[in-house]
Amino acid sequence: MNAARAMPAPVARRPSANVRHRANAAFRTVFLALAAVPLLLSACREQLPTASEEGLVPVGTTVEVVLSFGEFATRARVYGGYGRPSDLGGGFLARDFAGAGATPTDPSAAGLNAATLVNFGDFPLFASVLDTTGTTRPDSSLTFLSGRIVADFDADGSVAQGPVRVLAHEVTEPWDRITATWRLAVDSLDRQVPWATPGGAAGPEIGSAVWDSASGDSLEIMVDSALVAAWSERRDTAGDLRTVRLASDVAGSRLKLRSARLWLAARPSLAPDTVIQVLSPPRGTTFIYDPGPSAPTGASLRVGGAPAWRSVLDLDVPRRLNGPPELCAAVGCPVEIDEDHVSYAGLVLSPRRPDPAFAPSDTLTIDVRMVLAPLFLPKSPLGPSNAGIGSPAGLAGTILAPELFGVDADEETVEVPVTRVIRDLLRGETASGDPVPSATVALLSTFEPVSIEYVSFEGPGSPAAPRLRLILSFSPDEG
Amino acid sequence: MTTKTTSPLLLALVLAALLPGPTFAQSLLGFRALGVPVGTMSARAAAAGNLGVGLAGAELSATDPTAAADLLFPTISASMQPAWGTFELGDETGATNTTRFPLVGIGYPVPAARGALSLVLTGYMEQRWTGQVPRATAVGGSDVTVDDRFESNGGTSIARVGWSQRIGSRLAAGVSAGIYLGRLDRTFDRTLDSTTVGSGVESFGQTGSWTYGGPTFAAGASATPHDLVHVAAAVEWSGNLTAEPREGTLGDTAVYAIPLRVSAGATARLTPRLHFNASLVYQDWSGAAGFDPEVTAAGRFSYGAGLEWQLVRGIQRALPVRFGYRNVVLPFRFGSADAVESIWSAGAGFDLVQAEGLRFGWIDAGVERSRRSSGRLSERFWRATVSVGISRY
Repeated sequence: MNAARAMPAPVARRPSANVRHRANAAFRTVFLALAAVPLLLSACREQLPTASEEGLVPVGTTVEVVLSFGEFATRARVYGGYGRPSDLGGGFLARDFAGAGATPTDPSAAGLNAATLVNFGDFPLFASVLDTTGTTRPDSSLTFLSGRIVADFDADGSVAQGPVRVLAHEVTEPWDRITATWRLAVDSLDRQVPWATPGGAAGPEIGSAVWDSASGDSLEIMVDSALVAAWSERRDTAGDLRTVRLASDVAGSRLKLRSARLWLAARPSLAPDTVIQVLSPPRGTTFIYDPGPSAPTGASLRVGGAPAWRSVLDLDVPRRLNGPPELCAAVGCPVEIDEDHVSYAGLVLSPRRPDPAFAPSDTLTIDVRMVLAPLFLPKSPLGPSNAGIGSPAGLAGTILAPELFGVDADEETVEVPVTRVIRDLLRGETASGDPVPSATVALLSTFEPVSIEYVSFEGPGSPAAPRLRLILSFSPDEG
Repeated sequence: MTTKTTSPLLLALVLAALLPGPTFAQSLLGFRALGVPVGTMSARAAAAGNLGVGLAGAELSATDPTAAADLLFPTISASMQPAWGTFELGDETGATNTTRFPLVGIGYPVPAARGALSLVLTGYMEQRWTGQVPRATAVGGSDVTVDDRFESNGGTSIARVGWSQRIGSRLAAGVSAGIYLGRLDRTFDRTLDSTTVGSGVESFGQTGSWTYGGPTFAAGASATPHDLVHVAAAVEWSGNLTAEPREGTLGDTAVYAIPLRVSAGATARLTPRLHFNASLVYQDWSGAAGFDPEVTAAGRFSYGAGLEWQLVRGIQRALPVRFGYRNVVLPFRFGSADAVESIWSAGAGFDLVQAEGLRFGWIDAGVERSRRSSGRLSERFWRATVSVGISRY
């Protein structure tokens, strides 16, 4: 019996009822153990052996391919008129900026004149005042004594050879802060009203001050008590009263105004021996300028400005390549490419000197967005921005330094990352599985409009036409 | 009553089906050819230094076609095998860990025919490893730093259907037919340095997938010529193992010849409580078609031996402890020298129900300390195996 227990009997008898009972209990025990196994497994963490031995990892291939405009695109167009100057929230002041002689192609070109119109709303109806008992109370009976206009300028976005005298005039004509232009005070669909004097400069002068970028970003222009008293009594139902026109008095200057505010000195009835400062914020700001930029020629692309310009490209990215020789030597030609092969794609643009009056004096950022309905251009909606947090183009898009568009512009190139766009086009759908709406993309200012300044690039007809730079990678099996 | 007795078994079968397929050990040896063998699959054999043939008692074995001959009742068995390891490759060191299910088996005896049908799913080879190398490559006239990563993930399994036949009181024979299963995914990733190329650079990645297939057949016999001795032997022949590219994967179907595997083992009772087992496997990979001759091992023999001691033995329960040693020649080299794995092992079991030497419910555990090397590669492992099995009336 001992031998049989140690070495299994070749043909065993059927176990007793007691054994079967215990086996059933054991079955449940083991069954529960089995059931726990997946849970145990889920808690396990796999770690593959990872080595950096050169021989373990096969060598892939990465090749740069630069496609000419005709190899990756079929057409380029420029559209203008997106947005309004009033969308900026700030403005420009210019006087004969980049005038005669500044434009090589047109020595007689007139310089840029620009003025900013700031409409201040109704004066505050009350203010919190510390009365004679030391209690802060609202006071709705304020007597306005005087005012001062505080204007903040963007030193980097301004061009001036030295201190600039800034003039403030009152605008006494009715005007529309959305549609006003240099020539028209109102330029709506059903109504056009010209300024009495082009540029809206017919009103009385309020005052002036000198702005010097070396001294600070802001200036103050005093508003006398008579005008403040007059303004305080008006009820601005049309939104065109209490308007100040700010302009430059120095030829060759172009200043970028960030904001303008009206601070009022007022005497509260609760504390008649006290003068307080209350703010009258601007209700609307716009700028008007003359002359406007000339329309771009067919040999150039344009982005930016206010209203803004956009350049639209119809892409036709090839899926089969027959060059360059480096590519053919590496993977053989012709070679079929798909979205996975595109490690990087950049639209290489050659800067072109824009009209000096609108040449950038500060960095501009541009974005590339898919045109969702090319048939409806120029009013087609656009796809999501290529810029933003975590986006390949960076937070603000491709940053362009103003020097790129200077005298050495023809020696510079700008590269706008379009990797996602090209991969989507080759894939036929976006990474999230949505269909690609079109093969048309728009180059535009990241924030539109953002400045009177715009940038220009060589267009399809130029020897320095846009190119598409591709970095293609291939697996060892394809090499 | 019938429902009551069969339902839990069905549940167990369903559970077995829900378990992950055999996942695999992982080793940089998986770099070569078909990779590294999965090895011993049951905790009892692993602890007792056995190569999967010649252990006395009823088992569900992938490598011993007669092991199920003594099953009296439907039985299910499964093994779980976590492993922790380190490797040295020249000056480089690293770690690895994994959990695998090297064996899931079901046995169904047919008393009228004095035989048992078995269905066993086992791991065979594993190819799980990763290489990551920074390189510099010229792109458009500039040197660009790239980070290349190559990941191999997958391996081969075998699904077998077998029949074990009792012949008389001391002989048994068995046959099995199986197919190679499995899949291999290999991913090459290249990440370019965005500071050189430009913002918006995307990683390049391409995956190739292959599906394994092919037939395998095994036959074996076992005998108990004396009450003190049990012997068994098996021969396993395989047709060509094919690795067929899946859709979208470049290349042609690869064909590998799997050499004949001959194994034999024996168990001897030294005392009523002490058993000694020894086993030997012969397989000649050198010159096998489909492989680079410099990659296949020249060594042909693997061996193992060990002891099983019934530490506690009751009428219906037992607590055996086991010790063993194995020396296994792995089929593919990493360097120029054969990859040899030497394993010391120990373990214990708990036979929840047993009668007359046959187990109806058990939990076995084994721990192995393994070392294997080939050329500049040296690996050390701690590997645990837990096997559970249960029979149902």
